[in-house]
Order: sequence, then C-alpha cells, then structure tokens
Amino acid sequence: MAIECLVLGAGQEVGKSCVVVTFGGGKRVMFDCGMHMGHRDSRRYPDFDRLLADGAADYTAAISCVVITHFHLDHIGALPYFTEVCGYHGPVYMTYYDCAALVYPFQQYPTKALAPLMLEDYRKVMVDHRGEEEQYSYEDILRCMRKVIPLDLKQTIQVDKDLSIRAYYAGHVLGAAMIYAKVGDAAIVYTGDYNMTPDRHLGAAQIDRLKLDLLITESTYAKTVRDSKHAREREFLKAVHKCVSGGGKVLIPAFALGRAQELCILLDDYWERMNLKIPIYFSAGLTIQANMYYKMLIGWTSQKIKNSYTVHNPFDFKHVCHFERSFINNPGPCVLFATPGMISGGFSLEVFKKWAPSEKNLVTLPGYCVAGTIGHKLMSGKPTRIDIDKDTHIDVRCQIHQLSFSPHTDSKGIMDLTEFLSPSHVILVHGEKPQMAFLKERIESELGMQCCYPANNETVSIPTSQNLKINATEKFIVSFCMDETENDPQKQNLNFGGDMPQGCRTEGVAEGVLLMEKSKTPKILREDELLHSLGMETHFVHFEPLHPSSIEVKHTGESAVQQSSLEHLDCE
Amino acid sequence: MEEPPLLASTSRATASVASSSSANCPDPMDEGPSVSVPGLPFAEQLRAAGRGASSGSPGGPEAQVQALASISRGIYPLARAEALRGLAAVLETADAPGGVVELCHGCAVGLMRDEDEGVRLASVRLIALCADKLNTREGSDGNGDNQTDIMFLQRVSEGVLLQSLSKKVIKPNTGSGSIIKGEKVPPKLIYPCAAGIFAHGIEDEFHQVRTAACKSLGALSKLSAQYAQKALDLLMGMMNDDTEAVRLQTLQALFHMATYGCLTVQEMHMHMFLGLLVDMNASIRDATRKILGLVNLPKLQMFKSAIDVLITSLEKHQEEQEIYSVLFSVGKNHGNFSANIAKHLAKEISMPSDGELILDKPRIKALLIVSISVAFSDDKHNKRDIPEVIFSHAISLLGKISCAIGEVVDQNSLLSYFCQRTGIPFWETKLPSRESEGCSVETVADIRPRIEKTVKSTKCLDEVLTMQSVKSIIETVERTWTIRKSCNIRDVRNILRTCKEELRILASNSSGSTGAFLSFLCEYLDAVQFIVEILRSFQLDNSYDLGPTSPDILLEKLDTSIRRMKCCYAGFNRGMEIQVCELALLANLFGLSKVGIQSKLVLDKLHWMINRLDCLCADGSCELSYFSREIKKAFDANFVGHDIFTLLELFHPKPTTDYGMLKTISADLQVRDNDPENSSTYVCGLPVAVSLYISLCNISSQDRLWLRMIVGESIQHTFLELSSFGGNDEVKSCSTIIPFYATPMACSFVLRACLVMECPYGSVSIRQECNRGPSGSIIELSDELDVYFVCTKRR
Repeated sequence: MAIECLVLGAGQEVGKSCVVVTFGGGKRVMFDCGMHMGHRDSRRYPDFDRLLADGAADYTAAISCVVITHFHLDHIGALPYFTEVCGYHGPVYMTYYDCAALVYPFQQYPTKALAPLMLEDYRKVMVDHRGEEEQYSYEDILRCMRKVIPLDLKQTIQVDKDLSIRAYYAGHVLGAAMIYAKVGDAAIVYTGDYNMTPDRHLGAAQIDRLKLDLLITESTYAKTVRDSKHAREREFLKAVHKCVSGGGKVLIPAFALGRAQELCILLDDYWERMNLKIPIYFSAGLTIQANMYYKMLIGWTSQKIKNSYTVHNPFDFKHVCHFERSFINNPGPCVLFATPGMISGGFSLEVFKKWAPSEKNLVTLPGYCVAGTIGHKLMSGKPTRIDIDKDTHIDVRCQIHQLSFSPHTDSKGIMDLTEFLSPSHVILVHGEKPQMAFLKERIESELGMQCCYPANNETVSIPTSQNLKINATEKFIVSFCMDETENDPQKQNLNFGGDMPQGCRTEGVAEGVLLMEKSKTPKILREDELLHSLGMETHFVHFEPLHPSSIEVKHTGESAVQQSSLEHLDCE
Repeated sequence: MEEPPLLASTSRATASVASSSSANCPDPMDEGPSVSVPGLPFAEQLRAAGRGASSGSPGGPEAQVQALASISRGIYPLARAEALRGLAAVLETADAPGGVVELCHGCAVGLMRDEDEGVRLASVRLIALCADKLNTREGSDGNGDNQTDIMFLQRVSEGVLLQSLSKKVIKPNTGSGSIIKGEKVPPKLIYPCAAGIFAHGIEDEFHQVRTAACKSLGALSKLSAQYAQKALDLLMGMMNDDTEAVRLQTLQALFHMATYGCLTVQEMHMHMFLGLLVDMNASIRDATRKILGLVNLPKLQMFKSAIDVLITSLEKHQEEQEIYSVLFSVGKNHGNFSANIAKHLAKEISMPSDGELILDKPRIKALLIVSISVAFSDDKHNKRDIPEVIFSHAISLLGKISCAIGEVVDQNSLLSYFCQRTGIPFWETKLPSRESEGCSVETVADIRPRIEKTVKSTKCLDEVLTMQSVKSIIETVERTWTIRKSCNIRDVRNILRTCKEELRILASNSSGSTGAFLSFLCEYLDAVQFIVEILRSFQLDNSYDLGPTSPDILLEKLDTSIRRMKCCYAGFNRGMEIQVCELALLANLFGLSKVGIQSKLVLDKLHWMINRLDCLCADGSCELSYFSREIKKAFDANFVGHDIFTLLELFHPKPTTDYGMLKTISADLQVRDNDPENSSTYVCGLPVAVSLYISLCNISSQDRLWLRMIVGESIQHTFLELSSFGGNDEVKSCSTIIPFYATPMACSFVLRACLVMECPYGSVSIRQECNRGPSGSIIELSDELDVYFVCTKRR
C-alpha cells in the first residue's frame, strides 16, 4: 500500500497551494485550493483536470474532501472556482471556533468568516480595477461558503468510514491550521503555513506527537534562520517615535489582516508606556472590519491576549481613532495604517502622494513587495522621484523604514517540527527550489528521513508500512528485559568513567520464534516455549559416556563423529 | 560422579539474572508472579544492588552504578525512578571514586526531561547529591566555598553558552566539522538541547517562560563577556515586551549584569534605554535609573542624551528625588564628559538672566549636580577644571547634592569643601575637612561603617552648624536694623526676606526644640519686618495710605505676629519672654502713637507689659533693655515730656539664641473621605455632621481650643473638650464628628474649618459679646481646611 501525493500547486514555488493526497482505498484529500497572484492566465489556478485523469466521472467523485488551512488567497483563492465553476460538490472543511459568547453562527469560523472578505476584495480588485474577466461572482463566493463545513481545533472529523481528519493550531494567521489525515494505518500531516514562534497576537503552532508516514510542510524560509524579532520591533518603534516627536507623519501601508493588528498592538502598547498623545489612525474599510472579526475570534489568538481578554479586549485599541479623508492635510504628527500593503494603489497611494515630499515623514514598508508596486520601488534603493504615470510623479523625500514581520516559520522551526513529528517521509512545498534543495539535504543528513520537493503536477509515491499486531508471551518479554541488563564485564570496564555509560542498550535485539497460525493472531514466544505451544513433547538427548578408559588417545574430530553417531542411536 | 548435564542453551538469560542480582535472589525463575510484572525485577535487582553497596560486594560501586544507570534508561517510569534512588543510595554509601559522581550526574541530567514526574523528582535529588559530593571533593582541593550552581554553571563551556543564544549553529573555532568520505559533515552540537534555548525562551508565548529566560540570561552573563554582549542584545529587545513582569525582570537582569560589570551599552540601545526613563510605570523608571547609575557610556553624545532624558524625566516627575542621585553617579562615572557639561553650565549661569531664578529650574539643578560630580570622579585632571561659579551656586543646593551623594559624605564636609573652592571663608575650621583636592567617595564596601559613624556625629554637628548659621543671620538682621534708615527700603526688605527664607529652610531640616526655635525666629523676623515698615510709614507720614502697607493693617499684622509668638510656643525661658514682651511693648507704643489720644485700653496693656517685664527682671538675672527702661520712665511720667517717636527709635531688635526647651504648639486637622470629587451630602437647612481627625502637638490642658467653621457669612465655633483626646502630653489626637447647624439653602457649599486657640497671654482685651465663641483674641493653630458638601437631592 502506498500514499500518492500529487502536487497541483506550490511545488517549488510560492503561490496556489494545492496538494492532493491519495490514500489506499481510493480516498483522496485535497489540501488547500489556492490561486497564484503572479499569473493572469490559466496558470493562476491549479490544473484540476489532472484529477480526472484516472477516469473519474467528475470532481465530486474524484475527491473525498477539500480541506482549507487558512484564508490567504494563495490557499483559498481557487475554491469558488473549483466548487462553482468546476462543479465540485463534496465536503469542504475550514477551521471552526465555537464560542458561546458569539451570537452569529456564521461569524464563529475564522477562516470561514474571513475568507469571503478576502475573496470578494480580491475579486473586486481584479474585475473592477484591472478590468479583467470575471472568474466567479460574489454570489459564487457566497454559494461556495455555504458548502463549507466548520472544523474545530483538535476535533477529529470522520469524513467517511475510513478517512478522518483533525486540525491543529498553526499560528501564522487567525484561524490557520495544520491538518492531520488518516486512512487505516496511513497517516499524514499537511502543515499549510505555520509559525513556530508566537506573535504579539498569535500563538505558536502546536501539534501532538503523531505516528506519521508523510509530512507535507511549507518551506518558505527553508534556508533562513531568523533571529529574534525583538530587535526589529525596537528599530521600528525607534523610527516611529523619532518621526512623530519631530512632528512628522508615519504611513504604515498594511494588509488588512495580521500585520496591521500585530503592529497596532505593538504601537498601542508603546504609546501607553511612553504616554504619547499622538493619534494612531486606521483607514476606513477592511482594517476596521477585520479588527471587528479579530475581536470576535479571540480564542484563536495568543495566550497573553486570551488572558487579558477577560479584563479588556486587546483589539479595542486605546490610542487608535478612525481616520477621515480630510485628515490627510491636517498639520501635526500622526500614525496612519492604510491599505493596500504595497502602495499598489488605493488609499495608501493617495496618502503617500501627499506625505512623501516631506522629509519629516516616514513610510514603513513590509518585508516583501511585489515587483512593479511603489513599495517595491521604494525598497530597491532610495529613489527621489517616482513616476506614477506620464503626467504625475512624486518627489520622495520622506524616510523609508523596512520592517519584516514574517508569519512563516524559519528553517530551525521546520527542522524542529520535522524532528518532533519524526515522519518516515517529508515533502517540501511552498518554497523556492534552491532553498528547498538545501533543506532536503539537511533533513536527510541530520534527521535521516527521506525527503523530496516535487515540482507542480508531479506525483510522489510513498510506501507505507503496514502494522501487524502480534502477541508476545510473558516469558519472552521477561527474557528480553533481562537481556537488556546483561552486562559484559569487559565492555563495562572499558567504558567506565566516560560521560555516557555505553554498556547498556536502549534498543535491544531479542531472539524468539514468531508463530503464525491460521485464524489466530501471530504470537512471538521464546524458544523453549515453542514445543509446548505446539503441543509436542520434549525430547531429551542423553549422551552416554563411552568407555573412555579403553581408548587412551583419540583425536577430537573423531570423538565428534562418535558423538553424532551416538546421537542417532539414542534418539527415539 | 554422574551429574546429569542440562541442555542449557535456553537458560542464558536466567543465568545472567542470577549473576547480576547476586546471591540474595537465589532463584528468580521460581518467582512466577514477580516475573510476570516487568517492572518488578528492576526494583528487585536494584534493592539487591543497594544491599550490595552497603555490604561492599566485590562488584564495587562502578558495577552497581553501571547496572543502575542501564536500568534508568528502561521503559517503566517506576523502575527509572527507583534506579535513580538506587544511584543516590550508592553515592551516599560508597566512597565514590571520580568517575562515579559524573556518571550519576550524567544519568540524572539525562532524565531531567523525563515525562514522569517521579523520575524528574528523583533526578533532581540525585543532581543535588552529586553537587554535594562534588562540592566536598573540590572543597578538599581548596575552594570549598564555591556555590553549587556556580560550579555547575562553570562546567558549561562558553561555546555551549553562546550556542544557547543563537538558533544558528555556531561553528567552533577548532575543527569546523569533519570530513567523512569526502563529504563535509556539519559540526555536531555538544548539547543539542541547549541550542537556541534562549532565543526560543524569550519569544515564548507564556510570560512566565520569558521571565525565566531573562533571569537566566542575566545570571549567566557573568560567566563570559562575549555571552554578555549577545545576551544584552536579546534583553534589549525584551524591553518592549507586553507584560510588565517581563520588563521588570529584564531590567533586573540588566542590573545584575551591570553590577558584575559585564554591561556595555551601545549606541543602538540608547533609544530603548532612554525611553524607559520616561516610562509611565514608576517601577520601570526606577529600575532603569539604577542601571544607568552603573553603566559606562562610551560616547559624549550618549552621555548628553542620557542627561537630557534624565532632566526631562525630572521635569515630568519632580517628586522623584532619586533622579538627582542618578545624575550624580552618572556624572561621577564619566568625569570627562561631566567636566564638559560643567564648562557649558558655567557660561550659562554667568550670563545675565532677566530676573529669572534659573536655579529653580530642574534643568539647571540637574546640570549643577552633574558638574559637581566631577569633583568626585576618579579623574584627577578634571577636578581642577570646575569653574568656581559652579561651586558658589552649588552651595544653595547643598541639601539636594548631599542627598544625591548619599550618606557617603556628610553635608558639613561637603559645605566646607564648596566654600573652600569658592573662596568663601568657612567659619568652622575644626570641622573635618577633607583632602585639599576634593572629597573622595568611597567604594560600596566601606560605606557601611562610615554611615554608622556619620549618623551619630551628624546630629550634633547639624545643631552646631545650624546655630552658626542662625548667629550669622541674627547678625545680619541687627546690621540691617542699624542701616535701615540710610538704606533703600527695598534692600532692607530683601535682606529680611532672604534671612527668613534661610531660617525656614533650616527649620524644615531640624526638629525638636531647635526646629521650634527656628520657626519662632521666623516669626520674630516677621515682626521686625512689620516694625520696619511701620516706622517707615510713620517717617513718610502717609497715614492715609490704603492697602497692605497702610499702618493700620501693618499694626494688626504685627499684633497677630506677636500673638503667635506668645501663644504658639511653650517652654519659653526668661530671655525669650522678655523679647516678646518688648515687642508687645513696642506694638502698644505704636498704637499709642497712632491713636494719638491716650486710650485707656492701650495704656492698660502697656502697664501690664511693664509690670510683667519688671517682674521678669526682678531677681536681677536679666536686665531690662534701655528701651524698656525709658518706656517705663515715660509711662511713670505719664508720657509727659517724652516724645513717643523718639521712644520708638530706641527699640533695637536683639533676638536671643538661647532657647532652652522650646516647643511648638501646633495642630493638624483632617477631614475623612472628602474632596471636591467626593463631596459629603447634606439636606438643606438641617444640621450636617463633619467627621474630623484632629491631632494636637504640645497643647496643655489649660489651653482652650475651638473649631471654627465658616460658611459664607455664618461662623460657628465649637469648643473642643481636651479630655476627649487620646495620646500623651506631647501628641494628642481624636476622631470626632461635629455638627454644623447653619447649612445654607444651596445645592452645594464649601465649609472652611480651622482650629483656633484662645490667646490668654496678657490679653487686656475688649470682651467680645459672643455667647458661643472664644473670648478674647485668638490664633489659628492649623491651616484652614475646605470641606465640600452637596445637597442630597442634586446628587
């Protein structure tokens, strides 16, 4: 029996995560259903046709279930397309959070709650701004969301008789989960995106020690070992404080979810401690709405936030006020969070145009900006003039601060998780090829596991071990345990005084007889028990002493011959 | 001899059991049930080993330890725990040779992270025992006082320490990885579990873990400088932690590092560090200051920014006097930089200020202290560079500076040093003067005995010093009196005001009868000033002058002042009483001259005074002053042929410095649970209860105390029964509820309460026709207290 793993997306690249795992018995699970933001043609979606290659009538028959780890578009973007356009009607699972305090059932599932928000936002950008062909409508998104079955953390869901899945907390972003799937003896974990270090608002990934055949892990930072982010926080606060105390304005372009909240918690806390009275603004739209969701989904956040929640909702920022468009030209210092994150347009561009010409002001950029955006231009070198189009250009005199708070785990984190789970095989996805090659080497040499990183549309077959239950007799176990304490005195003396006593074994080899009978559980027993259990009698061989007095000198070889002949004689 | 030989191939294990469990278990195979429980044979064996150890079996401790160590790696937690206990037993009994302790330790450390609590417990106990053993062993080598933890810490190499900070594999300097079969094998970590443990620890989700990580970082820093440097980077990041406990622990760790001298602050840390000095949280500020007082700032820029932030902090939180001492120690630690500050400051002070009192500004105070600290720094060159003007200004801040220095140098020697540097002759050469170049500040170690010594000597020295200043003040006053006519009145006022100021400062620093005397002297100077003013107004003859300088008001003020002197002090000696009487005489004379006609009342008073003075000097121990004698003569002659104004000119203030057992009579009035935010309620027109706490100082049972309550125009006096007060003769106190009857028909009002005392002393006064109130003149004993009331309906 084997596990077939078909990588439809995020193979040796980042984007459109989609991995289909086929277990024995025809069970097929699709993990994530993302889209690629970099492509605008058919490459943007995973090549779903391959699922029908082995003769299945439609997608519903081909796939047992779809599991979405979190609401980022590269993990969920293709879902409405898959369900509404391609016509998949099977179950779709997303994380679920059950909290009695929440009134509306729809808002209890972080991924389910936030996903339509993200999808609709993206759809609007694509269709309304870029004028592209509509891939799916808002109604499609809603219809798709209605099919979603919520999934709670650590809850085992029996998809059907054989297939069960379970979600574990993954950090990364609100509602992110790692998925454990099991069919019979074959078990795998698909991590999705995860973070092993806690944030200010999210906890670290947690998972049980499981017996796994396969681990499919993201490898965004396959080679990088990140140092503590405290230093970066410090630099960020220093830059912001310096700017506002000099009367400048700070623009923080941010994506609505995750980073904005993280930075806002940081700033709000700092403001509180330093007793600063300068306003922090959130631009209207997604961010405020997302804050609202965050407030409701407090159970998915870090320990500190959960603890303080009983007293005060940490997402009710004390120093944050709502921003009005007219404030842009107000004098005096302020801090503004504005979408979109890479100053690719919209409100953050509008503000940037106004604020960039003053050297007192500061723009804080995220660690990664897509090429072609203003954010990217600002990061690569320090431009003094940015042309937006033929007629308009911006003189950039403001300071630029770059701040990367990545919610992905680093190389050490991947290694730690892999070591902790100790699967027999590891598949790397969601990363760049050279780095993945490096990590593969490390996993194979340091952890002794087989590892691969298939490209898109490649299939990897992984043999699974079949477990066989056997019984063992008491005597066998006792003798095995005694074996362990057996000491070879010579060996003992040699090793004595060293750091580790090597005279003992933690894993020993035991000798016994495996007895397999029809319609009975196989059994392992000690040599001397064998005859008894077979119901045979014991035969003893007695050696008769043979007149040694008569023969004075004889060769040993001959005596052996004699003995064997005697054996023949005495044996009954 | 025929012995039937057994086919023994299957009994190998049996034999091994028999051999290892020695003769005490004759035949384990017979014990069916015991074999069936897998855990039991271990325990069995172990006990056997323990017994073997006590009986000194030929195997020796090594063999037993080896056996037990192997059991401790078994799968059953009970067996593991038992094995560890067995090891402990072996260690205790046996005269353990070198390797054994290490082996046990290794074994125990290996099980420190066991999943079973019992095993962990046993392993900790075993480690403790190992530590003990090692300690005694090392002790015999000569360093027995080594603490266990320190010793264990030092067993960890620097490499491991550094590795614990970084998630990245740090390559050792020697042999960076080995090459096996042509492939480079990355270097193996010695303790893989230590790798990046702190890097993870400080980022943990739970603040308890972060706190512990910070604590450990601080504690380990003293072992290696390189480690300390890297740990500092991590710790600096922790200052932004969202939990206060973590931040405080971080600061404590830094303080720890600073005390061990392994804290070098870099420029990149300054912003963070200085931000903490103006943190909202007082304990954070305090902890940061403590650290700042110990660290070394390598650059002038850093030093200046630190001083600037300290000044900002001082301006924001004026009540935090510790800032001065931090300023001082920072200045002292950076002699060069402070000298620089001193030069700039000297320029600034010397520049003419537009009548502003620059010394009052916290900034100047702070900079002065920094400048002064140069004199105490180790740097010899800078000491001479401090401009003189700094010292002359420093004298006025003597109290603050001596506070800042701490108890190391007492105030007197500091003063003498300042005076000497300024060139002002200091009166008392006998005072312990320091070495000519400057006072030296002792290290922490020898402060203690000094403090004890100083505390004893300070008290009497203080008194001597105070009296010296008082004498010089009195001299000044007398001199001023003589030159008052030739001088501009403004100068006279200034001098008197300065003298009063100084007395007040001295009074606030002293207690007991000295304090009482100083405040008495203050009152006396008040009176003198009024007299000067009155004489001047007579001179100018502006009797129609209105406002505060009109003679009527001045006269009234003088009267009050004299009354206060009479009544607010107890335990006058004769000299002082004569003084007060003379003042009263003068005041009455003024009245006489003012009224023009010889009022019966004033004459009566005069008569009374003269008699009293006569009486005081009757036994000849004191002598009447010329002024009193002349008045007496004039009075006897019914002021015929005596010009009152010439008589007035005869007065000469001569305050005595002999004050005996003078005591201040004072009272304190407090109202419970009442402030503008939290007013008490009342019903219009009905009496309301005022709950008061009254404490009295040195009030005698003859004194008649009243509580005066004023609301608008209505005044209510309530007599206070002294018998209802508890306490001793010196301090009496009581909590009482006093009704106030005339509540106004208003939605709210403010009641002004004050404790007043009847002034019986020589009061030949008009009887006030008031039934419920004090008779005669009164003095206010306490400050007026506002009590807020609000009508119940409106609340």
